[in-house]
Amino acid sequence: MVSSEARWVRWGTVALSVAAGAALWELGARRASPAVISPLSATVIRLVEMIRTGELSSGLLGSLALFFTGFGLAVATALPLGLLLARVRVIRIALSDYIMIANATPLVALIPFILSIAGLDFAAKVLVVYLFSFFTILFNTVEGARSIKPELIEVARSYRSGEWAIWRDIMVPGTLPYAMTGVRQAIGRGLVGMVAAEFFLSASGIGQLIMTSARNFDTAALFGTVLIISLLGTALTGLGRLLENRFSPWRAVGR
Amino acid sequence: MMREVSTSALGRARATAGGGGKGRTLWTQLSNSTVLLKLAGGLFILTLWELIVRAAAPAYVAKPSGILRVLPKTILSKAIIDGAGTTLWAVTQGLLIALVLGTVVGLAMGHLKVVERLLRIYVSGLNAMPMIALLPLLTIWFGYTPAARLATIVFAAFFPVAMNVTDGAHSVPSDYLDVARSYRARRRHIWFGVTLPSSLPYLLAGIRIAIGRALIGAVVAEFFISIDGLGFYILFQSRTFHHNEAFVGVLMLAGFAIANDVLINWLTRRFMPWYRAGESGK
Repeated sequence: MVSSEARWVRWGTVALSVAAGAALWELGARRASPAVISPLSATVIRLVEMIRTGELSSGLLGSLALFFTGFGLAVATALPLGLLLARVRVIRIALSDYIMIANATPLVALIPFILSIAGLDFAAKVLVVYLFSFFTILFNTVEGARSIKPELIEVARSYRSGEWAIWRDIMVPGTLPYAMTGVRQAIGRGLVGMVAAEFFLSASGIGQLIMTSARNFDTAALFGTVLIISLLGTALTGLGRLLENRFSPWRAVGR
Repeated sequence: MMREVSTSALGRARATAGGGGKGRTLWTQLSNSTVLLKLAGGLFILTLWELIVRAAAPAYVAKPSGILRVLPKTILSKAIIDGAGTTLWAVTQGLLIALVLGTVVGLAMGHLKVVERLLRIYVSGLNAMPMIALLPLLTIWFGYTPAARLATIVFAAFFPVAMNVTDGAHSVPSDYLDVARSYRARRRHIWFGVTLPSSLPYLLAGIRIAIGRALIGAVVAEFFISIDGLGFYILFQSRTFHHNEAFVGVLMLAGFAIANDVLINWLTRRFMPWYRAGESGK
């Protein structure tokens, strides 16, 4: 447990760090042209205005709908498939190298293909988010499967465990921690996919807000949306870390 | 019957139980030969792709037979070689800048509590955000020029390096630092002579992530600002319905990314065998 004083010191330094950053932003930006960088005060005023007009919330909702549809589909398909590969050794050996390759490939390069084959609609954008997150989850789940000791299954078998019991007591608990690492990494990639889809397929959501404000040299709105998106990224990654630690408390990662 | 081939020991037992040689079915032979299995898996994926495209997609869509047909000509074409050269050169430059800055910032954060407390939220916050969201801003700052691409690459690669070097500096056994201090080593000697070598595996893990992100950043920047490079080659070819040629570009890009992963994994295992890869990978 952290003592109350240590916690006080920690939060104090975070507050100091935020204050210093804010001051640096405000003072630094005032020296520069507003077409290049917008001071914190102007950014906050513009942000409040965007919230009042509903611009920001509708953009944010559109982006979140896109992200969670694609990401949810990726989790819902990659986890069962990964578990299946965990159990069926032959298919796992046959496919794991290709999953590794797909995971390492910068899939952004596929966006022009998706653009000309699947078009510009919501489904095409979901496909981008899906592809960006799917292979990361699958890859990590298969890694987890590989980490399960064959002896465990042999012992279970020799005690005449049924297939269901093996899944419940060995396969799922053994694979899940790795799968959750995949889920955490996939959140970051899915966010990149979300913004890329909104930039390159058809402009919508937060991506559209960023692009239009950049085109109009509305740097206050631009900095505001970028700030929002980095808060969104931090929140979602934090959520991923929480999930990961929840399912594998013995190897808590990061802070 | 596939379900049964669950463990290596079982598989071996069944293979011998089948009576060496004559009694062994094709299936057990196949399942014991990983190379053949992998080949079969690859063949299966390619066939599936070919059949689906032939059955359901327009003729211009990339398919394995089409890619194979254009591969020799495309891979030797000036356009793709120049494009790949430009992109790789930009990635190399950006990576070097990010590496130097990231190492210095990471070491400072790892050693000086004040610096860490002041910078931590910014570094981890910016590390978590999708860096391509900054592209429009970078085009305002740098114009639609290669400098904007370089900035994207630096920005994409800097944070993983800084984060990993910080973690690496935290992981240095305090005995090392105590000994160095008791011999009155100078600060720069401690930072670059003790901490840096000792946290090399973390640095390598950071570089691996950084290169992956730098490649993505370079390609996205080329899409966005339409400047020459491998990403723009892919975009241009697919816009003019040369999907097979464009896919050769994707394969090249994938080749770079995978070569990077393999190389760094090999370096880690070859020179730092005490370190178990994957423990700090993010």
